[in-house]
Amino acid sequence: MSDNVTLTIDGVQVTVPKGTLIVEAAKQIENEIPVFCYHGKMDPVGMCRMCLVEVGQPAIDRGTGKPELDEDGNPVVRFFPKPMTACTTTVSEGMVVKVDTSEAAVDDRKAVLEFLLTSHPLDCPVCDKGGECPLQDLTIRHGPGNSRFDYEDKQHFPKRYPLGDLIVLDMERCIICARCVRFQQEIAFDPVLAIENRGRRAHIVSYSKPGFDSHYSGNTTDVCPVGALTTRDFRFGARAWEMTNVPSLCNHCGVGCNTVLGTRAGTIRRIMPRQNEAVNELWICDKGRFGHHFNGSPDRLTTPLIRKGEELVEATWDEALSLIGEKFGAIKSANGADSLGGIAGARLTNEDLYVFQKLFREIIGTNNIDHRVGLSAALEDETAFTVGVGVGTDLGSVGKGTTILNIGADLDQDAPILYLRVAGASVKRGAHVINAGGRRTKLDAQVQTTLRYNYGSAARLALGLLASVVSQGLVAKEWADSRTSGMADLEKALKNFGADKVAEATGLTTNAIDAAAKAFAEAENGIIIFGLEAGNDPALRAALEALALATGHAGKPNNGVIAVLPHANSRGAIDMGILPDRLPGYKPVESNAGLSAVEMLTAGGVKGLLIAAADPAVESESYKQALQQLDFLVVQELFLTETAQMADVVLPAKGNAERDGSYTNLERRVQTFDMGVPAPGKAWADWLIFTGIAGQLGADWAYASADGVMAEITQRVPLYAGMDFKNLTAPISLQRKTEHYIYEGMSFTTDIREGIQWATVAESDSAPKIPLRFIEPAKASSQEQGLTLVAPRMLYDGGRLLAEADVVNAHILEPQLMLSRSDAQKLGVSTGDSVTVSQNGTAITVPVYIERTVSEGVALLPRNLAGRPAEKLVGPNGLYSTVKVEKS
Amino acid sequence: MINQLKDVVTGSAEIAKAMGVTLKYFFKKPVTHQYPDEPVEVYPRFRGRHVLKRYDNGLERCIGCALCAAACPTDCIYVEASENTDEKRYSPGERYASTYDINMLRCIFCGYCAEACPTEAIVLEHDFALAEYNRWDAIYPKERLLEPHDPDYIVLRSDEEFKLSETWGKK
Repeated sequence: MSDNVTLTIDGVQVTVPKGTLIVEAAKQIENEIPVFCYHGKMDPVGMCRMCLVEVGQPAIDRGTGKPELDEDGNPVVRFFPKPMTACTTTVSEGMVVKVDTSEAAVDDRKAVLEFLLTSHPLDCPVCDKGGECPLQDLTIRHGPGNSRFDYEDKQHFPKRYPLGDLIVLDMERCIICARCVRFQQEIAFDPVLAIENRGRRAHIVSYSKPGFDSHYSGNTTDVCPVGALTTRDFRFGARAWEMTNVPSLCNHCGVGCNTVLGTRAGTIRRIMPRQNEAVNELWICDKGRFGHHFNGSPDRLTTPLIRKGEELVEATWDEALSLIGEKFGAIKSANGADSLGGIAGARLTNEDLYVFQKLFREIIGTNNIDHRVGLSAALEDETAFTVGVGVGTDLGSVGKGTTILNIGADLDQDAPILYLRVAGASVKRGAHVINAGGRRTKLDAQVQTTLRYNYGSAARLALGLLASVVSQGLVAKEWADSRTSGMADLEKALKNFGADKVAEATGLTTNAIDAAAKAFAEAENGIIIFGLEAGNDPALRAALEALALATGHAGKPNNGVIAVLPHANSRGAIDMGILPDRLPGYKPVESNAGLSAVEMLTAGGVKGLLIAAADPAVESESYKQALQQLDFLVVQELFLTETAQMADVVLPAKGNAERDGSYTNLERRVQTFDMGVPAPGKAWADWLIFTGIAGQLGADWAYASADGVMAEITQRVPLYAGMDFKNLTAPISLQRKTEHYIYEGMSFTTDIREGIQWATVAESDSAPKIPLRFIEPAKASSQEQGLTLVAPRMLYDGGRLLAEADVVNAHILEPQLMLSRSDAQKLGVSTGDSVTVSQNGTAITVPVYIERTVSEGVALLPRNLAGRPAEKLVGPNGLYSTVKVEKS
Repeated sequence: MINQLKDVVTGSAEIAKAMGVTLKYFFKKPVTHQYPDEPVEVYPRFRGRHVLKRYDNGLERCIGCALCAAACPTDCIYVEASENTDEKRYSPGERYASTYDINMLRCIFCGYCAEACPTEAIVLEHDFALAEYNRWDAIYPKERLLEPHDPDYIVLRSDEEFKLSETWGKK
């Protein structure tokens, strides 16, 4: 029997797969059945009754079991006596559905709308949803012209009731569709909302403390089909029709969520998600939604500044650039090209970074460039070139038969939308997720297997898994033999990583390791995700690469490795060769590799430094001292950061909403964003500034736009071939669009662009065999007495950009030491007490917070917070260290 | 000679006739106004300068919904809304217009804004004296638009002529 069924909707025949809902089948023939509670991403509930239709089925003769026929030979259709909800009824063969052709169904829907409106305040003029409101739209299309209910009889609830500090509830407008409750339950896995009471007294409540405690709360305002949930940030910001919607990208983490900037009168009023099923589906996290205020901040740099004595004084671009040209030229001729260096943050676009490295490599003539400062220093990745996830990977569709191994990434904090997709794959679609980490994270509650290893043993765990795959005979022989080399050597090296040894080092059982290895190797698709808390360890990366290759989980869609890199364009910075030993496109530097960021930031490393979009001065005291000793420092920034205050020339750069460009996300998807708002003062785009500096040093580049730079990248970096803006901004095909399309009545959706992924080595059949690498992990540090201090990254950290968003200020973490209850008891401290944390003579004092997710013997102090206390103890590139904690 | 005499007589007659007209109007009520010393009468439905109305308790009627701006065919209205707080309350309810500008040079006085207004906050009243020395001054901010605005050079015509319902169709 075929898996398709054919039915008739309003006289039009349509064939859809079995199990499809009527409302989805109707969508395929562009018959839009009105819905409020139904949402394509959530399970249907049939709460609002808006989708009532008449449904009939062919009558079956009970005697013969054959369809009954009328006199003309047509099958007799028997209609159900009552209307059915199209959003909960699945299709069946020969079904006849009447949507608009049935007078009864039309009347029913009209009556449902009249009932919904009996208690709706109809305050559309002041409602933020007005103009993009499904209730407005559907009332006009299907509703009665007037109401028979008296306004005085309406239910009254308090207006602007704060559900949390970000979301405001207007209960009078709510139609109890439960989309928000279901979103939190089914998609965000933060079931913090519920419906209390019933009937007309039913209302939405948040039981969490603090209220609406979720990183995804803003999405409930998007799915809300009325104006009941609105954000504190946008509240009355503009009417829906007044805004210009500009396709953009979020620049707060590496996921690369597609966003829409709602702009008006030169300012950003709101940020909403833009649908991209391959990246963020329909969601963005609250950091992305509310963290845009840096763009319009009054503290932005607006004009170049030149140091005159102690003061930084305003200057023109000509003055600033010619001074840079003069000084850099003088340093170069006096001390050689290698006395100059450059550090570029991974927040810059591919175009900026490409021009940056070209400036240093071709015009100045040095390889002293790096992007690894701040968070970028804590996690490197070169595995994506060989075994990155295959082109076409979609974490939003993987399910049964897929195993996802997550090592050391706290996805809810590091890459929130990736968390939604991985948790969704596990809970909704039945993928096997193995969550390995040094502490309890939010993902643990959503996965089948949890591996809790000792901090510092992640590389051993990875090698243990690999050894277990080999010893259980689960190596994908055929694939590994044809595509990789060095299997024999690897197997020999793995002898030392037997399950028992690894079990001892990691604190896991041999059974757990073997079972995890089996689950990963035997899965049809295998994806490895690794993050900051696995440690910045080449041994780990080599082991994960070998694990992916040996099990054959590389080189095809839904297989491969994802590194959860910290910044919007961390991947692009590596692709563009912002490394002292690597050229664009992962080509190694053949001779004279340059200095790394750490070496440049050591006293005496270089004499002249150009720093763009990075703030090393706050990272550590030694960096600051090194910066002070420079002959000449140029800083290119949005704000007058600590590093900028030390500079000889400060150049104002444009923020990402003020220019166009492209980012490469952690799945290697290159995506573009457009310019939304004008830049403050005389700020320039970063690539233009680099071009200007190059011009002073004798180059005759003529880049006219980011588009033009990308055109050169496509020529000179083979990985990016064909990725010019014309292709990157091309809207997706109509076919793909209909697959995408989810009814929600929103007016903000702008053209969907999906971006382009570049292909890894493993995906090309003609590529040479990939050598299996083995790197001996570093010896575990001697067992010092004390607690292991770990510095993870939290979503609301102390980054400069987020600090400008007043609305989330209350969420930004203050430095605090998170301890387990038992460790706190041993120290005799409780939440709020301050303690002194010391290691090798460095001591800091922070308050204690007792956190139940922390295991005994471990203390957490998130990195990248105000004052960078964690980095002082674990080092700017480190993850953990053994510390002494005393009550102070 | 005769002809010349004839001309003098007829000319004098003409002058006398013309002066008669002058004399006639000399005793009639003048149609001109000593504007702006004397107020000008306007018809009640004359659409002049906009006024943002208030409730009796002094709160603004405008809720900043920007429907006037949406209805405006020349896009001459700019509205920014903000939220009322209990300490600083401008209008009843949650929302008020923190910015309300009308570009009088662009306005065509069609009255669509008044028609779109859900609270009858914006009304085209009778002031017609909209000249400015500076073009930028022709953008009227909220402070200028808000009530009270009763220029002393305008009076509403309240005469019998305007009783439309009585005279319509009868003449």
